[in-house]
Amino acid sequence: MATEVKLPRLGQGMESGTIVKWLKGEGEQVKKREPLYELDTDKVTQEVEAEADGVLLKIVVDSGEVEVGKTIAFIGQEGEEVSASGNGATPSPEAEETDNDATEAAEDSQEEGSPAPAMDSQRERGQEAAARTAAAATEKVADSNKVERSDGRIKASPLARRLAREKGIDIAQVSGTGPEGRIVAEDVEGAAVTPAPAPAPAAPAGSDVEELQLSSTRKTIARRLTEAWQAPVFQLTVSADMTRSLELRERLVARLTEDETKPTVSDLLTKVCAAALVRHRAVNAHFTGESIRRFPYAHIGIAVAAPNGLVVPVIRDADRSTIQEIAASRADVVARARDGKLQRADLEEGTFTISNLGMYGIEQFIAVLNPPQAAILAVGATEQKPVVRDGLVEVRPLLTLTLTCDHRAIDGSDGAEFLRTVKELLEEPALAL
Amino acid sequence: MAKVEKKPRAEGGLSEDELRDLFREMLLIRRFEEKVEERFRAGELPGFLHVAIGQEAVATGVCAALEREDTIMSTHRAHGHALAKGTHPNSIMAELYGKLEGCSHGYGGSMHLYDLENGMLGANAVVGGGLPQVTGTALAYTFRKQERVAVAFFGDGATNTGTFHESLNLAQLWKVPALFVLEMNGWAESTPLSQHAPIEDFSQRAVAFGMRSVDVDGQDVEAVYEATREAREHAVAGDGPVFLNVRTYRLVGHYIGDPQVYREKSELEELRETKDPIELLRARLELSDEDFEQLDTEVTAIVEESVEFAKAGTDPKPEDALKYVYA
Amino acid sequence: MAELTYREAVRDALSRAMREDEDVFIMGEDIAEMGGSMGVTQGMLAEFGPERVRNTPISEIAIVGTGIGAAMQGMRPVVEIKYQDFLTLSMEQLVNQAAKHRTMSGGQLKVPLTVRTQGGAGWSPGAQHAQQLEAWFVHVPGLKVAFPSTPEDVRGLLWSSIYDDNPVIFFEHRLLYPLKGEVPDELEPIPFGKARVMREGSDVTVIAIGRMVPEALQAAKQAEEEEGISVEVIDPRTLLPLDEDTILDSVRKTTRCVTAHEAVTRGGFGAELAAVVQAGAFDYLDAPIERVGAKFAPLAFAPAMEQWAIPHAADVLEAVKRTVARS
Repeated sequence: MATEVKLPRLGQGMESGTIVKWLKGEGEQVKKREPLYELDTDKVTQEVEAEADGVLLKIVVDSGEVEVGKTIAFIGQEGEEVSASGNGATPSPEAEETDNDATEAAEDSQEEGSPAPAMDSQRERGQEAAARTAAAATEKVADSNKVERSDGRIKASPLARRLAREKGIDIAQVSGTGPEGRIVAEDVEGAAVTPAPAPAPAAPAGSDVEELQLSSTRKTIARRLTEAWQAPVFQLTVSADMTRSLELRERLVARLTEDETKPTVSDLLTKVCAAALVRHRAVNAHFTGESIRRFPYAHIGIAVAAPNGLVVPVIRDADRSTIQEIAASRADVVARARDGKLQRADLEEGTFTISNLGMYGIEQFIAVLNPPQAAILAVGATEQKPVVRDGLVEVRPLLTLTLTCDHRAIDGSDGAEFLRTVKELLEEPALAL
Repeated sequence: MAKVEKKPRAEGGLSEDELRDLFREMLLIRRFEEKVEERFRAGELPGFLHVAIGQEAVATGVCAALEREDTIMSTHRAHGHALAKGTHPNSIMAELYGKLEGCSHGYGGSMHLYDLENGMLGANAVVGGGLPQVTGTALAYTFRKQERVAVAFFGDGATNTGTFHESLNLAQLWKVPALFVLEMNGWAESTPLSQHAPIEDFSQRAVAFGMRSVDVDGQDVEAVYEATREAREHAVAGDGPVFLNVRTYRLVGHYIGDPQVYREKSELEELRETKDPIELLRARLELSDEDFEQLDTEVTAIVEESVEFAKAGTDPKPEDALKYVYA
Repeated sequence: MAELTYREAVRDALSRAMREDEDVFIMGEDIAEMGGSMGVTQGMLAEFGPERVRNTPISEIAIVGTGIGAAMQGMRPVVEIKYQDFLTLSMEQLVNQAAKHRTMSGGQLKVPLTVRTQGGAGWSPGAQHAQQLEAWFVHVPGLKVAFPSTPEDVRGLLWSSIYDDNPVIFFEHRLLYPLKGEVPDELEPIPFGKARVMREGSDVTVIAIGRMVPEALQAAKQAEEEEGISVEVIDPRTLLPLDEDTILDSVRKTTRCVTAHEAVTRGGFGAELAAVVQAGAFDYLDAPIERVGAKFAPLAFAPAMEQWAIPHAADVLEAVKRTVARS
């Protein structure tokens, strides 16, 4: 029997993937664990292995986006017939099958007895009824949600209780979304993100060592950073005199209307980088492993510290947006990041990332790449520093910027040119017009 | 269903009319079984099906000799027994189609036909499974002082089971009014006599328990009838159960579709020519072709009607599966 | 109120039924002159005669099968399987036949058969005479299973079993036979599916059957006196149908549950109870459910090994302590 190759769910929440390329052709021998095709998910492109030995009988989907679970190919014995539309369903014969056809089917056989194809509709009827019965049982449980239980007990699953214990959350403060108002693990995790009105959790008495299990977010972060670390990178640093930029910012703030978001220096920086990126497309790029992809637009990712870890929501089309628009976008995504309410769309398609630790007083640092992006800018604090101008020592607000570049995609000079432009635009914003 | 009158008999032998009735009944069973084969091959009948083609004279002869209040228990090859005992072809066919109108209301299928009204206490899918229950049924008749017999049909394969031995031993020990009818067709599914028993004369298996045993030619319906009559009298009189060692022939495979790879084709052909109980009786009665045609048309109509009846029947509700678990 | 031993209580139920009802009779190995290997039927041969108090050969298949046949005719046979280990020989008749006739016949048949049996370890009977197999039968739709632990309960339940129209496997326990207990002057039938709260408590629910009921009561006493733990002991009395309500109400009150039976823990009835409790009282459980049973090996003969392997009050006490344990 041929094995159906179905698109696997490679990550939680993965609904579909894009088949980039088949690594084996129809008719080729395939071994279990051999890479079979390349799949692009929103995070990364990866090779998917074959799950069976045999011959790749048929490729059903050559390329393009496919839903998880759909059949994309068949592996089996040479010469086996596979139906192109087969998705695991056995063809159900019509009840009015002619005797001739059925006689073929019911010829002398090695087996005693037969299921009788004419009875398949009855079987389906039974199965459907069984499914309804099961669904009714589920509804009963869901309905029990509405039952008021007033015996004062806190209903929480054993896992929820343990999590609450571990996180130092008072379970009585958590509202339950399980059947009959039972508190389940998710409810506790949700409570951990939103600051609880309850008193600050004390460290567990008698134990000083904290062990945090990796959440799936953390695991993803760890994986991606490990990948990023393997890229051959170089860093370039400049200091920019922020006098003019700060002045510009103040003028913009003065012009604000009531509901407009206050633009920050970061917003200005975002705009400046966007402008520089479209001028220096070599830096506005992705390294895909097979190619370098350069973009005509700048979707800028802003690194945000969210409760569950680092996230990088994207400000789209920053090159064509005003500072005001960028400020509004930034405020929105950052708020949502802090609430844990970002959508997948918020995180996708960034072409460049800015990471700003200036608010912590960090003078300078080197950021790790955000693959597949080829570059990332690390921003420190703006500090009053002595500089030499026209032979005289003056005190100026200086901002230190460090650009990390993936050397496979960007040469030193490209990176340097970009960074010079950024400095120039920061020092004289009018040059961006 | 025409029933043979039970006349008190001074001299032996059934009358011509009576034999004709029996012939018609055997032919009905034959056509019924053929129709079942046909419908199975058409993919309409699910599960297991075992037809009794070649063994019609045994079912017919035995049941004709029983009273209505006598009871039978049968095997996996039960259609003939049920029909002969009085279950209507409609009831059986509807059961094979899994309909509520079936004799077991769709709960049993071919191997679990039950018809209490007609004294059919169940076909059994477990070889020998019904035998001790026949002993028990007969025991109840003794307790209640009823003039009834309980009859077990079984094949040579069953005589090897522990169940068989325990049942006959106890039946004879307690002298219950039971008839144990061995339909010796020489096959336990695909295993011939020579491979499943170290003996050939199965009356020994009854004699071993001190039970009366009678050899019967199972292809001669009259002989079967006579032997059963006498055995019944013996049992009802309190003289103990009787073992009817009936030699018969299975002219088909074990199950419908059985390619009988284990059987000599020539042997089968020869049996079909020489041992068909219907042909034998037809010859004996010297039935004209017209007479035969007429009977055949009649019974075939009945059989075809039963298929119509069955197909038009009511499908049970899926949730009905939970009914009838407990009384 | 009168006082009877468990053994006498069984005899009382049987005798009263037989006095009132001609349809009730008993059969089994050595039950007549000898009065049964456990002395249960002593004196009954004298009162009821050999027709209704029947010794049988060693034929567990026929004992049960004959009982089924008679029951199908409306009698109420109470057959005895001397040691429950020998139920294994009659499994086919119990599981394939008795349990299924009603369903397979689409509701036409009833099998009001009672199968009495006993067992019990602790006296070096050896592995083949010491098993506790009640869990097997709870797994068979169509059967009912009873396992009372007091004279009052065994009498009332046996009566109900005899008059239940379904096949009942009725487990008695060897070590309980001499146990004395109060019984009402008039026999009060006890319904199936109704547990008895043997002892009220508030900290832990112990569900016990058979010999483990008195063991659990002893453990409960110790728990109270030595540990200050208040234990509620429940005897379900019938395993199928099971009184889930009483059990769940209790666990919801105490929040902790221990099951106890003499049978091997793995796959024992305690596993079914744990699943029922987990599903029905999930939000009330403050500790994992503990199961007490025999260790997983065929029971050794030498007394020291045997005693180590079977459960005792101490095991129940430890299980209780584990459910309230804190670190």
